[in-house]
Amino acid sequence: MKKYFSFLLFLFIGVTSCTKSNIESEQPLPYQKIVEGYVTGAAVKVELFAKQGLTTGYNTIYIALFDSVSKQPIENAMVTIFPVMDMVTKKHSAPVENQGTTAKNKLFTSAIVFTMPSGSMGTWTVDVNVQYEGKQGKTSLPVTVLESAKSRLKSFVSKADNSKFFVALIQPDDPKVGVNDLELAVYKSKSMMDFPADSSLAISLTPEMPTMGHGSPNNIDPIHTTKGHYKGKVNFTMTGLWYLNLDFNAGTAVADSSTYFELNF
Amino acid sequence: MKSNNQLKDYLLYSHNSAFMKIIRLLLILLSCSVMTAGQVVTQDDSIRTVVLQEVAVSAKQKNQQQNLYNFFSTNKAATTEDILGRFPELSLVRRGSYGMEPTIRSFNSSQVNLLIDGMRIHGACTDKMDPASIYIEPINLNSIEVNTGGRDFLNGSSIGGNINMKLAEANCHEQPVLNGAVNSGFHSAANTFYQSLSVDYAGSRWGLRASGTYRKSGDYRDGSGKTVSFSQYEKVNYSINGKLVLSDRSYLKIDLLADDGWNMGYAALPMDVGYANARIGAVSVIKEDPSARWEKLEAKLYANKIKHFMDDTDRPNVTIHMDMPGESITTGFYAEGTKKARRGKLSLRADASATTLKASMTMHQPGQSPMYMLTWPDNRQVQSGVAAQYAMRIDSITQLILNARTDISAYSLTSQMGKDQLAVFNYTDDNNHFYIPSISMQVSRRLIGKLKAALSVGINGRSPSASELFGFYLFNQFDGYDYIGKPTLEQETGMLTDLTLSYQQQKWKAQATAYVSRVKNYIIGRLTPDFSAMTIGAKGVKQYANIDHAVLAGAEASLVYEPSTKTQFVTTVKYAFGNDDLGKPLPMITPLRNISTLRQFFGNLWLQGEAEFAATQNRVSKVADEKATGSFALYHFRAGYKQKVKNLDCQLNAGIENIFDVHYREHLDWGNIARPGRNLYLQLGFAF
Repeated sequence: MKKYFSFLLFLFIGVTSCTKSNIESEQPLPYQKIVEGYVTGAAVKVELFAKQGLTTGYNTIYIALFDSVSKQPIENAMVTIFPVMDMVTKKHSAPVENQGTTAKNKLFTSAIVFTMPSGSMGTWTVDVNVQYEGKQGKTSLPVTVLESAKSRLKSFVSKADNSKFFVALIQPDDPKVGVNDLELAVYKSKSMMDFPADSSLAISLTPEMPTMGHGSPNNIDPIHTTKGHYKGKVNFTMTGLWYLNLDFNAGTAVADSSTYFELNF
Repeated sequence: MKSNNQLKDYLLYSHNSAFMKIIRLLLILLSCSVMTAGQVVTQDDSIRTVVLQEVAVSAKQKNQQQNLYNFFSTNKAATTEDILGRFPELSLVRRGSYGMEPTIRSFNSSQVNLLIDGMRIHGACTDKMDPASIYIEPINLNSIEVNTGGRDFLNGSSIGGNINMKLAEANCHEQPVLNGAVNSGFHSAANTFYQSLSVDYAGSRWGLRASGTYRKSGDYRDGSGKTVSFSQYEKVNYSINGKLVLSDRSYLKIDLLADDGWNMGYAALPMDVGYANARIGAVSVIKEDPSARWEKLEAKLYANKIKHFMDDTDRPNVTIHMDMPGESITTGFYAEGTKKARRGKLSLRADASATTLKASMTMHQPGQSPMYMLTWPDNRQVQSGVAAQYAMRIDSITQLILNARTDISAYSLTSQMGKDQLAVFNYTDDNNHFYIPSISMQVSRRLIGKLKAALSVGINGRSPSASELFGFYLFNQFDGYDYIGKPTLEQETGMLTDLTLSYQQQKWKAQATAYVSRVKNYIIGRLTPDFSAMTIGAKGVKQYANIDHAVLAGAEASLVYEPSTKTQFVTTVKYAFGNDDLGKPLPMITPLRNISTLRQFFGNLWLQGEAEFAATQNRVSKVADEKATGSFALYHFRAGYKQKVKNLDCQLNAGIENIFDVHYREHLDWGNIARPGRNLYLQLGFAF
């Protein structure tokens, strides 16, 4: 009888604990909150999210806006962000992408290509501009950018016209053996504050395993799609350290042939 | 029957084990059937009688093969490979002193089924360093059956034929008998030492046979006096066979076999083998009743697991060390039966097996992620087939054998990483099905006197191998290229014919065969210049591809001459020829080769002189960057002595191989590695 009772008790605990876990199963945001603040002019609370912490290279920034009064998430607003690096003696910005006016899953999406980490050299802030229901405001949010452990950002000076370019590796972020999507973003450094997306260069890709001195077959060179993004395919035949060697051509002239990303997986 | 008794006498010296007894009886029966065609043989031991009758009826064409096997297995110091290499139909591909790969008539190992007691065993090594023949030691070998392409494909479809190595079996005996044997041996060329042991208990209801062999060999010395580094090996082999009588006519048989090798050098390859393990098991039920309509029924369930670990740890000047482990697991069954049919016999067989393979490569470079890839993307092959053979007597001098078999074989990739790897070559379809029909007809007819002719024609086929379909940058030291598979390969289809003339009488047993095969969709590596080689030092990448066809032809002949019971002379000769669809030579074709042996008995002592000749092979494949091989002549001297001391059979074998210390290599030897030079051997055995 005692055994039977214990069994019932066990069953009961089992059922209740199952119920409990079912209630809690609502998915939390898969992103990490970076910083939050108030855009007083627009009466909006702003929260910035990223997949992980911010690092040098391409970072997708997810922006959540909340009405300061109703506390409700905002789905329609004009939001732009602008990174600023303050190096005491000078300031500069970095390539940035601002998407639009409509939130997807209550998040607005932008991206920043941080060109250097925060530290003794200077500090990063992200200016957030919001236009919401006829009101407009701006706030500056301090952020910390770490040096990326992976190789995600390169720059070169074009041999064709001496202008400086930034190249960010977006994909593969988590490389695997087999066929991988390749996505790069290319920006021209026009001034300290202006880094427009560039679509003028033709890119050819040669993966290489430097330790072994071999490549991989059937890669597809990245071609320009939109906003400086180039998409192609890269194949890896094994794990280990790979170089993605990139050649950039401006028309018939060679712009650069020394840039490569390192992938160690 | 006088000659039979004499034959029995000369074989007595070798009756140290149960299987020799059987072989002895087989030979007596075979010679009997030759001399007195159709005469009924009666024996008092029922089981043995059954075995004998089976052979008597179905093995007419194997007479010469049996003769040769018996002759060459008499040398107790011979390894399984030594015996295999003496068959005129067989050649051995050599990559090291251990693990030589048997092939039939220049058909490569993918085109040949190498079976142990009808079981399929797939090597776990991507470089074919572990043919199943390494798991059989002479002490647990009962017999070797070689079926060339179109002759007999009950056991499985193939292009080149099949080699079935039968395991020694336990016996049952009315009066319980315990037998045992101990053998020790030494070879000087490589300081090889070996020790084998077998114990055989035959009870009235059950029998048990256990055997074990240990071998250790150092680096051998070649004919120029140079020590060939990385030619050592060490291994143990154990096997247990149990037999349980179920009824008067049926019994249960259990086979367990384990083989562990380690520290095995492969001089012709850039890597050695750290360890290689095989675990092989089978349960069979056999019913034999010569008086019943179904004379023999057998069903077998089997499983085997092979592990193979290749590495280059001991090699000097290696930039990055590499490990290449592999594993193969096969499970299968077969059921077969032979029944009396109109004017002959009908044999039926159904079999199925599933093989899963995985092999990978890992390289370690400090400060980097390990470099890892699947050299055999994880895959499974499921094969099933049904076969029939109808042997019938047309008239008193003409026999007809019809063979038919159909196989369905399906391959699939079983891991995402494997699929991802092949996606690099744009292969998405990982399901390959092959339907392989085989059919052949063989007519044999006595022409004049004791001269018999047998003509066979047939169509056979094989599915591509796992390496040919899925191999991923498999380095082939033979031509120096990395090989990749092609999942869209077509199956090979062979059309073949052969003609055999045989002449058998008491003193002379001669046989000559000429054959030609045209293999459609022959699979061979084709250069893909766009791909970069993975292996450091490789010349490039080749991908397996079907060429339109290849033609393989050749001839083999053998002669056994016994002028008296004291003297035996055996000579075999073979020649092979292979061309691709452009008329260019195929690689790995044996040149003209001859082995002649003269054995003389002096009571308990026998002496034997042996000569081996190989012609130059200049017909080499340019595409495979194959090197020509010069001719050579080797002479061996062997002797055996047998003495019965009370109940103990003592025997001593000794000899000198390669007496003149010739520095040579065979054409099928990989790398430019010479074979062993002069070798003195000594073998001592006791049996009770």
